[in-house]
Amino acid sequence: MALLELKGVSRHFGGVRAVDGLDLAVEAGQIFGLIGPNGSGKSTTVNLITGLFALTSGSIAFDGRDFGALPTHLRLGRGVARSFQNIRLFGQLTVWQNLWVAQNSPADHAKRGFLSRWLGGQGDVREEISQLLEFSGLAHKQDELAANLAFGEQRRLELARALATRPKLVLLDEPAAGMNNEEIGLLRDRILKMRAQGITVLLVEHVMELVMDVTDRIAVLNFGQKIAEGTPSEIQADAAVRKAYLGGETA
Amino acid sequence: MFFDLIQNTLDGLAMGSSYALLAVGFTLIFGVLRRVNLSYGPAIMFGGYCATWVHLNFQAGLLALAIITIAGAVLAGAYVERLCFAPHRQGSAIAAMVASFALWMQFEEAVTLVMPSHVYDFPAMYDGPPFEFGSLTLRMEALVMLACAVAISYGLHRVLSGSRFGLAVRAVIDSPVAAQLAGIDVPRVLLQVFLLASSIGGLAGYLIVSTHTQITPMLGMWSTLKGLLAMMIGGLGSLPGAVAGGLVLGVLEAHSQWFLGPQSRDLLAFLLLFGLLAVRPYGLWRASSAEAEA
Repeated sequence: MALLELKGVSRHFGGVRAVDGLDLAVEAGQIFGLIGPNGSGKSTTVNLITGLFALTSGSIAFDGRDFGALPTHLRLGRGVARSFQNIRLFGQLTVWQNLWVAQNSPADHAKRGFLSRWLGGQGDVREEISQLLEFSGLAHKQDELAANLAFGEQRRLELARALATRPKLVLLDEPAAGMNNEEIGLLRDRILKMRAQGITVLLVEHVMELVMDVTDRIAVLNFGQKIAEGTPSEIQADAAVRKAYLGGETA
Repeated sequence: MFFDLIQNTLDGLAMGSSYALLAVGFTLIFGVLRRVNLSYGPAIMFGGYCATWVHLNFQAGLLALAIITIAGAVLAGAYVERLCFAPHRQGSAIAAMVASFALWMQFEEAVTLVMPSHVYDFPAMYDGPPFEFGSLTLRMEALVMLACAVAISYGLHRVLSGSRFGLAVRAVIDSPVAAQLAGIDVPRVLLQVFLLASSIGGLAGYLIVSTHTQITPMLGMWSTLKGLLAMMIGGLGSLPGAVAGGLVLGVLEAHSQWFLGPQSRDLLAFLLLFGLLAVRPYGLWRASSAEAEA
């Protein structure tokens, strides 16, 4: 059974069908790529999955349960986290506090229960935060205000904050935007490590080398509809995909 | 003359501490909601009238009256949040502000319906003689006001810098959308902040009416104005600014009342605000993060 399942999902803005009848099934443990030209509905899809936009029609199921009507923070409690295309950190909190807030969210408390939270104490929380800081290469910056971090560090912190909520599924919205090749290489390693730890990843990305390199499966959107789905090599060979990207010519 | 200056400054600091508390509550609400809550003062007035009603009908101690004032303000604050701010969170700031004005009228009508006289006596906190230090005097209420302002400011600082709730509040101030995605129940945090702000306002309200030893429906407008004024002087959205703004306002009022007479007191306060906003549109303390987008 798929971990995340979208059925006939649509979102219209006035007359614009940003997402139109989308079916998508992401299996647990996969790195799933979502690609498409600008304006094809990728970010809208991510916003629908996290609940920032309401569905016009269709249904979203996560972990076998319907999900489409829950508020955002409760979806997070079920295990869906995301990073943003435009960085949205808590600039006036320190790096450490950014992670602590996410890890200590009420949604998380609901998951862990009142007793274990008090009895378990802060020890394991701190331990997890230092692991996350290590993972994202921010251990030496933990007391820095997030607003003062360099761009690349902010991106890493955003990813770490998403992981701090102990997600089953992480949605990455263009995590490589603005990164140089070396940083993209490190990002690639982190994404693969996440999968190794059993986290499912939905990757929305324009940097094709990264997508083709790490994903197990890819869906291609154009004008809000899915025009192709398959393994990276199938997608690279797909005529409809080439047409969408190259604008009419089948190369 | 010299002793007058010192005496006025002391009195001003005392009154200013209650303004500071009013402004701290106002600032908390403004910080998380980016909305001006005109019903802030009237909710405090409602709390004061609850206590006055209990005082008139039962024997109640000072502590009980203080608690009733705070509880009444919190209850009224929750009512305001549910009716004015929760429904308009994503919508227009004007709608929320006008709705809060409507509730202001509601509170005034409600209290005058139940208690129609214009003025009611309110028991003083302490009727002994003031403390004397040489030729300076300091009243008990003044000391309590100062102590409360210091304790609340410090406590709030600790809560906001260290606790889970405090960090959630600051996360919401920074970015409500990101806060949601970090698992924070934003509507709940907003309600909690509202209740916290109302309880601080209620405490300020109790200190003020028990110092004035009387209460009128005007207390509502008065509290909103003083809180707003102190907040604007200190710097929109900054908590240290709110405290400083309250103290500056209190000291200035005390001096102008002494040297220019009670009539010119409020006039001078508003002139100060105009002048200050012309020179420093963000107040004395520029809030650290958020007011750039406001």
